[in-house]
Amino acid sequence: MEHFIETIGRNMFAIFGVLALVGALIMIGARSAIHSVLGFLFAMLNIAGCFLALEAEFLGVAQILVYAGGIVVLFLFVVMLVEMSKKHEGEVFQLQSRYAVLAVAGGVALFLGVFRKAIFGAPSPESLVLRPELAKGLDVAHQNAQAVSRGLFADYLLPFEILSVILLVALVGAVVLAKTERV
Amino acid sequence: MVSLNAVLVISFLLFSIGIAGVLIRRNALIILMCVELMLNAANLNFIAFARHSGSASGQAFALLVMGFAAAEVAVGLALVVALYRRRDTVQVDDINLLKG
Repeated sequence: MEHFIETIGRNMFAIFGVLALVGALIMIGARSAIHSVLGFLFAMLNIAGCFLALEAEFLGVAQILVYAGGIVVLFLFVVMLVEMSKKHEGEVFQLQSRYAVLAVAGGVALFLGVFRKAIFGAPSPESLVLRPELAKGLDVAHQNAQAVSRGLFADYLLPFEILSVILLVALVGAVVLAKTERV
Repeated sequence: MVSLNAVLVISFLLFSIGIAGVLIRRNALIILMCVELMLNAANLNFIAFARHSGSASGQAFALLVMGFAAAEVAVGLALVVALYRRRDTVQVDDINLLKG
């Protein structure tokens, strides 16, 4: 039993990753949009689990808050608003689906070419461990939030500020796009 | 420990599923969700490489990408709602104003 739990603990990332893939497949395969959103939610929660398994605790929690708490609810509201339409998808996949499948297969083949060594080659000898000489006196694994904040507010302050402007523009744009004409 | 290859393969598969969804589905909402999935696959790579190099820069950047994704969803959903008001559909096949 202890051995079993230990094995699960070691393979946490693979478990969450496979579950995220399952959620993503449900998302693109489901017939109704609500089921798609639920698959999306499942995939996002499992990606958050992947982040936790990679010891990015702050990002894992932020992922749950932003996606499961914000974006999925937004999607659900819009699905509720929009799915009352008379027109429904006749079939789930597009008519030009043959070409789409061909394009996807070509893209996957290209990616496989890039990742050939990573997938089929020998497994990388070094696993994802912190290289202490790069951590600069800060323990990224044990002070995750501090490390991220140092990156965000010291090294990447300008992108952070630009992102705040982008968010403001998106806010104004969303209000302008979604408001009714008579205002 | 997690090997870098495992992370790369998972994120590659997530990205491929996202591309397949964008190309195959015809519901604008589901296409938006697939774009989100692709951004998340990129985030996974950022975090894996941050872990590999031992610096927190990748994680900080993943946080920026997350904020950007939120902004994109807000604008995209506003577009979908505006489209639904005007044309009464969210199926991208029915939106062919530029077809000529």
